[in-house]
Amino acid sequence: MKKTWLKWAALSTPALIAAGCATFPDQATTRQIAEKMVSEDFTAPTPALLKRLVQDRSQHICSKIGEARLTQEEAAEVVKLARASIQYPQSGKLVGDWKTGETLALDGAGDRIQRGALEKRKENGGLCQNCHALAPGEINVGNIGPSLTGYGLQRGNSEAIAKLTYERIYNGWAYAPCSNMPRLGATWHLSSEQITHLVAYLIDPQSPVNTK
Amino acid sequence: MPTTRGRIGAIAVACLAVHGTTLAQGKAEDGLAVGRQMLAEDNPGELWIEQGKTLFHQKRGPKNASLEQCDFGLGPGKLEGATVRLPRYFPDTDRVQDLESRLLTCMVQLQGFNRDDIVKRAISPALSNGSDVEALALYITSRSNGLKMNVALSHQKEYDMYKAGEYLFYRRSGQTDFACVQCHGEANKRIRLQDLVHMTDKKGVQEVTSTWPAYRGAHFVVRTMQWRLSDCFWQMRLPELTYASDVSIALTTYLHYQGNGAVIKVPGFKR
Repeated sequence: MKKTWLKWAALSTPALIAAGCATFPDQATTRQIAEKMVSEDFTAPTPALLKRLVQDRSQHICSKIGEARLTQEEAAEVVKLARASIQYPQSGKLVGDWKTGETLALDGAGDRIQRGALEKRKENGGLCQNCHALAPGEINVGNIGPSLTGYGLQRGNSEAIAKLTYERIYNGWAYAPCSNMPRLGATWHLSSEQITHLVAYLIDPQSPVNTK
Repeated sequence: MPTTRGRIGAIAVACLAVHGTTLAQGKAEDGLAVGRQMLAEDNPGELWIEQGKTLFHQKRGPKNASLEQCDFGLGPGKLEGATVRLPRYFPDTDRVQDLESRLLTCMVQLQGFNRDDIVKRAISPALSNGSDVEALALYITSRSNGLKMNVALSHQKEYDMYKAGEYLFYRRSGQTDFACVQCHGEANKRIRLQDLVHMTDKKGVQEVTSTWPAYRGAHFVVRTMQWRLSDCFWQMRLPELTYASDVSIALTTYLHYQGNGAVIKVPGFKR
């Protein structure tokens, strides 16, 4: 009896140790493992394009896992960085042409990388329609972001509203840190001028967004 | 065969399109659900299963060997129930592998194919006859149809892969500031009219883990999980995900483990 037990113990101990050792890696180790993967597992037509994978400080803060939430300090830092990032157009004019803005808002293309090539276009699409309802009656719209239908009707087109709208598109994290909204101006996806056209599309009384 | 397949696919998608338009005027999601249901009942992807079966048993490659000796984790040639445990750790390669990376291992080691050649063709062009890997992945997964996903974490590398996958799911980068969770973290979300799977929800993630490979209506071919992941990174404006890389396997490990209990039903149907 005793012998059997000993034999069993001798055989199973290494297995138990092996099983006992294997467990979830801690946060720092996980990060190290995953970041190494990121640095090795992507290709791009030019080395500069690989930099898109490198996180900036705000992206790092905003990558909370699961139920983890931003601390007050982190939120404040993201807001501060966002505020500092916002640049205004040279002309100082924040409201562009709504028709140009409409084309941009409905355009979801630009800057994607496939089969070793960068999607080359004169300028990137605004991507708005992917996530936001825009003009009333348009069905092919996403709902990840809030509806922008009647945006100008609700808010008017004052200078203050124009500035707020410009800033929220340029870097929305200045108002809602780590929200799902891309920092379209701060990441250079859109130019300052393109953003002024989107502002017009949202607040101009003539824009289809504001059809009563 | 390819012509028949293309024709069936075309009809299927035409049906979806018609349905989409009529019903979009009412509730968009319901309309798409009806079209999807119609296609699920008569999925053109079924035609790839036979092709995959033939490819699996045929003697092919420089070594003129079949894949019958390929070990997907349950022993050489044992396919039934194999994919419900994938990804998993394989001692011979000392790596955690998903179905497609394991398939690559076997095609290289048993059949003598050149790895780069297979990878180059693994994701087929739209409207083509599909790739060997796509047909094989579908056939092998179909042998687990009706069985429940049951990914286990026991080897240290499996734990590492799972945690890395979770980390990557939430890792934001690039000019869109997107991680997976920006689009897949809430219920009933869409990009334009395309429904997004709610992957931080048990039911949602189970839908993902049980329906790939799937017939992709818009492309007229069968697509795999590797394709699904690379297409997401493309839309996120990030560099190209390397086929069968650790990033792809980590994300798959994370999602598959979360989706344990889902009953496999392939080919799935995607718009």
